[in-house]
Amino acid sequence: MGTDGGTGRMTSEEISGRLKEKLPEAVLAFEELPGTAGRVRFRAESALEVFRVVRSDLGYDHLSMVGGIDWVEEREVIYLVWSDLRRNYLLLSTRIAARDAHIESATPVWPSANWHEREAWEMVDIRFDHHPDLRHLLMPDGYAFHPLLRSFKLHEPEELEVKVRRV
Amino acid sequence: MSAPAKAIEAPPTVAIPSAGVAEVTAPAVPFLEIEGLRSQQFIPAAKEALTSLLAERAHGKLIRPVFNWAGRNSLFPLHWGLACCAIEFASAFGARWDAERFGVVPRSSPRQCDLLIVNGTVTWKVAHKLITLYEQMPEPKWVIAMGNCATGGGPFRTAYSVVPGVDKLVPVDVYIAGCPPRPEALLDGILKLEELIRERQE
Amino acid sequence: MWINMGPQHPMTHGLWNLRVKIEGEIVKEIDPEMGFLHRGIEKISEDRHYNEVITLMDRTCYVAGIAWEHLYIQAAEQALHVTPPARALWIRVLCEEMQRIASHVMWYAAFVQDLGLMSPFLYGMRDRDLLLDHFQSFTGGRLTYEYMRVGGVRNDLPPGTTDRMRKTLDWLMDRFVEYDRLCMGSEIFRKRCDDLGVLKANDCIAYGVTGPMLRSAGVRRDLRKDRPYAIYDQVDFDMAIADSADVTGRYLVRMEEMRQSVRILRQVVDWLDKHPGPVMAPNLPRWLGAPYAPVGREGYLLKRNYPKGVGLSAIEEPHGEANAYVVNEGGEHPYRVKFRSPVYVNLSAAHKYLVGYHVADIPPIMGSVDVCVGEVDR
Repeated sequence: MGTDGGTGRMTSEEISGRLKEKLPEAVLAFEELPGTAGRVRFRAESALEVFRVVRSDLGYDHLSMVGGIDWVEEREVIYLVWSDLRRNYLLLSTRIAARDAHIESATPVWPSANWHEREAWEMVDIRFDHHPDLRHLLMPDGYAFHPLLRSFKLHEPEELEVKVRRV
Repeated sequence: MSAPAKAIEAPPTVAIPSAGVAEVTAPAVPFLEIEGLRSQQFIPAAKEALTSLLAERAHGKLIRPVFNWAGRNSLFPLHWGLACCAIEFASAFGARWDAERFGVVPRSSPRQCDLLIVNGTVTWKVAHKLITLYEQMPEPKWVIAMGNCATGGGPFRTAYSVVPGVDKLVPVDVYIAGCPPRPEALLDGILKLEELIRERQE
Repeated sequence: MWINMGPQHPMTHGLWNLRVKIEGEIVKEIDPEMGFLHRGIEKISEDRHYNEVITLMDRTCYVAGIAWEHLYIQAAEQALHVTPPARALWIRVLCEEMQRIASHVMWYAAFVQDLGLMSPFLYGMRDRDLLLDHFQSFTGGRLTYEYMRVGGVRNDLPPGTTDRMRKTLDWLMDRFVEYDRLCMGSEIFRKRCDDLGVLKANDCIAYGVTGPMLRSAGVRRDLRKDRPYAIYDQVDFDMAIADSADVTGRYLVRMEEMRQSVRILRQVVDWLDKHPGPVMAPNLPRWLGAPYAPVGREGYLLKRNYPKGVGLSAIEEPHGEANAYVVNEGGEHPYRVKFRSPVYVNLSAAHKYLVGYHVADIPPIMGSVDVCVGEVDR
């Protein structure tokens, strides 16, 4: 949109070309997303290869965030990366089945993924394989729920009290 | 009781053989005598008199008002910032509002405090730590729930991790409304607490 | 030996726990424990109207509330396909830069007090209150503003604001000289802070550290310059850079940023004087104009017909780079809101700049990071 202008459209074609050349099977689609160089949809099985190419070949050396989105049947993991060279953002996104959701950890490529992935695991129940330290970050240890799933509903605290009293 | 009594009798028997020794021990005897008297008679008597005095009259009419006056005019809150209200709490101690003129000085150790200002959202994760801090504070102690979150959960009332009101955990004396309350409101709450302390004495 | 610093500790400036493993006086290992202020803002947002989320944004980062409003509102407008008028963009920048100065002054007050200097706290709070008075004059709040709306800002500035602002800016510029004289002129301050908490540029980039910490390591990255949002491409300012990568460097970067913010603010108030106009986008759908949830047939049509979208925004918040990702799947609630907090990432790299220093160095180092736990735990 108008507020988020100033990103290089020239480079987005270059990026999509480079990605398709390097990873013909892993990259599913390259879409326009205003405010970024684009959104790359990739196959979750080859996540680590995509991260390596994006970091080393394309120069996206700064990982801004990792987030999980629950789409009920499947879960989406988004990676927002920034390049100091190109001065723009690139959004990587992948979808995995909600049942036994897991994806390779990005910590070997971007060490800053550590806490983001801990949070995504705790909130949206996405397991990150080979993560160095996958434990609770924001909720107390042993918290059994994943609050940012759509199935987790919020309710007024009074209801909670009534329930407790009945038991 | 028996040990000092023996000490009074002992010196003469030892001191008789030599005059020089007797001279040395002689001044020791009255001292020991006084010591013995003090421990045997005076202290219990004074204690009894004092306790009766305190219990009957002084405690109700003299000591308690003094403690009450001193306590309510020098409330030491715990220096603990929970959330947004902590910034307004800090502003109240800044140049413009200067809460220290009311004798309110934040201390970092709960052992030195008699006022717990819960300035922000209390989550279930921090709940038992808040109770521990409250228990570490010496009696008499008071609690101010500052802001809507501490009063009843505020805008995060429905959240899964938030305690809906700190009064579920510790007894609260004064509630301050606002999200966050202005520093004036905090000062007003502290003055209200002072009034409350004065009323409780009577 | 492991010791706990927090959650109630004068060093923390908020609600978190730094577990430190020490050998003698030397820090060997650390383990920050977060989440004591986790309020589920991302979850609550899913049940709120787009405009009601703004209320939560102020409380997310309570020392830079309006910067977080700006962050969210950009992403929400992109997701909802709304374009605000130009004057609203300038007012938003005015707010963000004022908030940057207020946040840095608050940081200065708290940080220098950690070092044992008491009077800067009083000076800092005094000057911050002047800025908050301006906020109060047009938003009504000192700390939580609820000022921005999808499609613009709630109301225009009251008459005379720009003139009063100019006076405040002149006054602040003189105060910054005082601040510098108090700190950089003090040999004790320099001995305490030089070569402390060093985090070099390559570590900053690997661990995602941003903001004044990154710029103090000599990396030229400021989203206001590199990816100009709102109207930052139309104002003239310099990036604050230091190369010592230590506590003193962070101090210098923040001080210079305040001066540059004053420079931006002077241009913004001049522009606002010359260009009156509307501050809300015209032809907004009725349900977006106010927190209002249409029900029945209208609600059904709204959910069905309003275009879906995804919004992504990035701003240079006083603490560093913040991102918001808003998914609009129809209806008056966002489907998912995801935030990236700069302090969260800066803290996750804490082992890089704390290990190897003395225990007594932890307060100045953590003070120089400028921790705001509200936005870390969200």
